[in-house]
Amino acid sequence: MRFLDQPPRFLFFTGKGGVGKTSLACAGAVRLADAGRRVLLVSTDPASNVGQVFGQEIGNALVPIAAVPGLTALEIDPEAAAGAYRERIVGPVRGVLPDDVVRGIEEQLSGACTTEIAAFDEFTGLLTDQALLADFEHIVFDTAPTGHTIRLLQLPGAWSGFLESSDNGASCLGPLAGLDKQRRKYRAAVDALADPARTRLVLVARAQASTLREVARTHEELAALGLGRQYLVVNGVLPDTEAGADPLAAAIAAREADALAALPAALAALPCDRVALKPYNLVGLPSLRALLAGESGEAAPPAPAPAAADGLPRLAALVDDIAAAGHGLVMLMGKGGVGKTTLAAAVAVEFARRGLAVHLTTSDPAAHLAETLEGSLDALTVSRIDPHAETERYRAEVLATRGGDLDEQGRALLEEDLRSPCTEEIAVFQAFSRIIREAGRSFVVMDTAPTGHTLLLLDAAGAYHREMVRHMDKSGVAHYTTPMMQLRDPARTRVLIVTLAETTPVLEAARLQHDLRRAGIEPWAWIINNSLAAAQPASPLLARRAAAELAQIDTVRREHARRLALVPLQAVEPVGVDRLAALAAD
Amino acid sequence: MKTIQIFDPALCCSTGVCGTEVGQALVTAAADLDWARQQGLPVERFNLAQQPLAFADNAVVRGFLERSGQDALPLVLVDGEVALAGRYPSRTELARWAGLPTLQPRGEGSTCCGGCC
Repeated sequence: MRFLDQPPRFLFFTGKGGVGKTSLACAGAVRLADAGRRVLLVSTDPASNVGQVFGQEIGNALVPIAAVPGLTALEIDPEAAAGAYRERIVGPVRGVLPDDVVRGIEEQLSGACTTEIAAFDEFTGLLTDQALLADFEHIVFDTAPTGHTIRLLQLPGAWSGFLESSDNGASCLGPLAGLDKQRRKYRAAVDALADPARTRLVLVARAQASTLREVARTHEELAALGLGRQYLVVNGVLPDTEAGADPLAAAIAAREADALAALPAALAALPCDRVALKPYNLVGLPSLRALLAGESGEAAPPAPAPAAADGLPRLAALVDDIAAAGHGLVMLMGKGGVGKTTLAAAVAVEFARRGLAVHLTTSDPAAHLAETLEGSLDALTVSRIDPHAETERYRAEVLATRGGDLDEQGRALLEEDLRSPCTEEIAVFQAFSRIIREAGRSFVVMDTAPTGHTLLLLDAAGAYHREMVRHMDKSGVAHYTTPMMQLRDPARTRVLIVTLAETTPVLEAARLQHDLRRAGIEPWAWIINNSLAAAQPASPLLARRAAAELAQIDTVRREHARRLALVPLQAVEPVGVDRLAALAAD
Repeated sequence: MKTIQIFDPALCCSTGVCGTEVGQALVTAAADLDWARQQGLPVERFNLAQQPLAFADNAVVRGFLERSGQDALPLVLVDGEVALAGRYPSRTELARWAGLPTLQPRGEGSTCCGGCC
């Protein structure tokens, strides 16, 4: 494996949830320890199963791994770190300040920025702890700080504004102001990250065009910040030997080959490893060691009985229920890459085929899906919100109207804050707000941006809602409907949470649902997309992956979803009216 | 020299720069308070979301919050006494509190007698 050749002190794995960062980090750390190195493995996955992988309890303290001499592990839960930070600030005033004030403070400190910055604060301790560096030759992290965080920390204006006097008002760095660590430490941490002699970044992707494009963007963003030493690992590639086994496997193999052949130019130059899809989940040392060794790792168990997915509900049942209402807003939510846009299009097409007027709005940067539908069905209108254009417009507006009086440092800080993940969400939400009013007369179906930002979006809408109510009380006008009131009304809005039948995506979806509930929105149903269990593949490897999905499907059904639908993994990408309609038909 | 303390509402991404609307008042206030500091005026700011203890420890501020709620912020104290609430001070007000030469608002005020009105 090239990404483990002559490794520097720090190895960071980055990539979106579910691509296998934690598995690769674990396997890499074991490999280094087996080679006689002293290695610290740090997991910041909130669903960390590192303990389960090694069969021992770990937690937020250094724990030597009994079965692997030289390996020590540590689990950091960024949500817990953010929670601890929140509690440090809020705890002392609870019961002293009015309750609604305390709740307001907590809400302010519940955004994505707080979690991101709290996680960076934890990294910093590890990157600059001299005693730790003396003890370990390598520290392997299963995640990496974002470009936005690093850029903020590199701005001199950010430091003078927030860490020294913390009095310039608003910034994404706000959460740092309360952390009593020193500027020198943050600077040293950023320097360590940008030093190729000390830090290697491993980009983890799957062999999917959209994932690879996203990874290419991450690569360019972080390379521009000095994190130039990057490696690419394409994980979970279906082995050629499976391709002949059944049509679904053959289609997947062909699709993956196409994606890899069209690797974005920025990635093609990087040292690259491919790791084969395994039929089992990576738990236990033998399977971890086998992951990077290119062996199957265990004797092939007999092919399981076809996955018992027959009784699982399909999308058609959900569509029937929604269609009965005659009109309303249908929002598909979930992390990037789970197929929100495709499912939104499938639902909209099915409505239109039934003669129901429907407006499909997508913010998917890959516009081709919406374009293929334009004008195809009489009852269907398609529009597209370009998140990039909306964000640029919003940024330009803010800089022009609000930034005029700022000095150079202040302006640089404002510009960086406007590159925060929240900004795009807000800009897109403003565009959405204009469209969703139509849902009183017809159907509006929309996909939305990734979940991490969604909470802030809804928080912002919540603040707007409270503001409106206050004005209404004064003026006596009570017929005004805010976007938030509409989103909270189950008769007008149905939120469909989209996920995949894998551990991390399910956990991320559950967190999204929790955030929505905090904002007073109850998701109506869950959709598990790209399900192998529903596709019932003949290939032995895929059949075993299908069987492995059942536990996650069961978890979703028992613990999370009020209603559930399963959409099978398609052999052919569902583009065009007929294929989309097939997804939502019986 | 008088001490000026500003007790801000809870500011983070969502009410600051990344909010549904960037508060012009916040941006202007930051510039004005920076100006006041350059004039040698001691100005302290406390953010409800980050330093709530400063609000809780000050009887005047705590009482204000109980009576009027957080929506009535910001609150401005000069030498510990309430000088302004619900908005940020202008440069003219800052100058007055500091005993600096009064800034003449452009286009008005110059016809006045300078104290009688």
